[in-house]
Amino acid sequence: MSRLRVAALATLLVTIAGCAVVRPHERQNVARRSMTEDRQPGQSRFIQHQTGSREGADGGTGEPGGGCGCN
Amino acid sequence: MQLTRRRRSVTRGPLAVAVVALAAAPAWADGELSMRGVYYKERATRVIQPMLDGLFEVGDHGTADAHVLVDAITSASVAAGNDGTYFTERRVEGGGGYVREVDLYKVGASVRYSSEPDYTSMFFGVRGAVELFDRNLAVTASANLGKDSMSNAGAPPMVPRLEDDLSTVLGSIGLAQLLGRDMVASLTYDVSRLEGQQANLYRSVIAAGMQVAERHPDRRTRHAVAATFKWFVPSTMTTLIAGYRRYHDSWDLDAHTPEVRVIQDVGDGTAFSVRYRYHRQDKATFYQPRYDSSTLEFLSDDIKLSAFDSHTMAAALELSGDVLGFTGRLGEMRGQIVIEYIDQNNRFGNALVAHAALTVPFAY
Repeated sequence: MSRLRVAALATLLVTIAGCAVVRPHERQNVARRSMTEDRQPGQSRFIQHQTGSREGADGGTGEPGGGCGCN
Repeated sequence: MQLTRRRRSVTRGPLAVAVVALAAAPAWADGELSMRGVYYKERATRVIQPMLDGLFEVGDHGTADAHVLVDAITSASVAAGNDGTYFTERRVEGGGGYVREVDLYKVGASVRYSSEPDYTSMFFGVRGAVELFDRNLAVTASANLGKDSMSNAGAPPMVPRLEDDLSTVLGSIGLAQLLGRDMVASLTYDVSRLEGQQANLYRSVIAAGMQVAERHPDRRTRHAVAATFKWFVPSTMTTLIAGYRRYHDSWDLDAHTPEVRVIQDVGDGTAFSVRYRYHRQDKATFYQPRYDSSTLEFLSDDIKLSAFDSHTMAAALELSGDVLGFTGRLGEMRGQIVIEYIDQNNRFGNALVAHAALTVPFAY
């Protein structure tokens, strides 16, 4: 996997930060639950556990997977 | 509940936008308790998992969370040494965390412990977040350390006892950027390093006509990059979510996982959502469906390391207590039902998953 692409994506996000300024009074929609944590903690945890015990890939959530004898 | 959340988010900025890392701020009043039951069934395995999640405000700037769950796993796997007969094993997990918010910063720590008769696992993590550019960009980072211990305690008495362990270090960085009044994009990069026993102590491989214990490399470095884009369409009250994860590790296992979700708000705290996820992976370098030699350095019968793809289709319905005729605090309860079907073209076979959950807000 190209680390260059990851760095480019991150740079892009940081760069556009200066372009799109959303004021506090304009944030009703992005603060909706469907736009923030649309999954409940237990739901997310089960999905991560289930995919981690059935797929060779894991990660991308910022949370540790595994932790069981499912391998 | 959502009204309270909206007020807080508007006045404090888009802290809730830091979707990639920190535990969410309390959704309602002083805390909430969620009870969830999950049923998972595939060809040779059934899992029933009840769980309890709590979220509590601690002082003016802190949030604590805790969970406990039990996995009751019934399987026909020969891996348990029961030679194909069904057996049931229980796994108990508990965990908790604390996040403190100070102006533009959040810092937190979490711990998780899991125990089953032949496997225990402990994870400890720290995390931090900062909001930049007038709170339009949230940057998060976390680090986790894990220690697992395992044995073949479930094997028949004549099998020699084996014990081993596994250490895990995980680092993660995330960005979440507001792209407009209705759009958020996020990017997460995880890298983890595993050292220790990564084969199943029960599982064996047929190699050159002989049954040989599985042998995996004892080191694995895993990279995962996940990007998510969320768009709320005010005219129809629809939220569209698209995600993609790319994965690669030092065993040369490579995977692509795109996902789309559509959440339709139908008013009065009721929402309906559908999800589709596709997963495709190549095999690990050393994995083979059959081995002609038993002297190879690495041998595996782990289906997770084979090449396959899967499709997950899910639908969920969320209702508030108001819709069911409750009033006051009970009217702010939330109920959720989720049904998933997983089409997997490997030996695990297809799977059905069902969730039922109830979330109750409370004050203390």
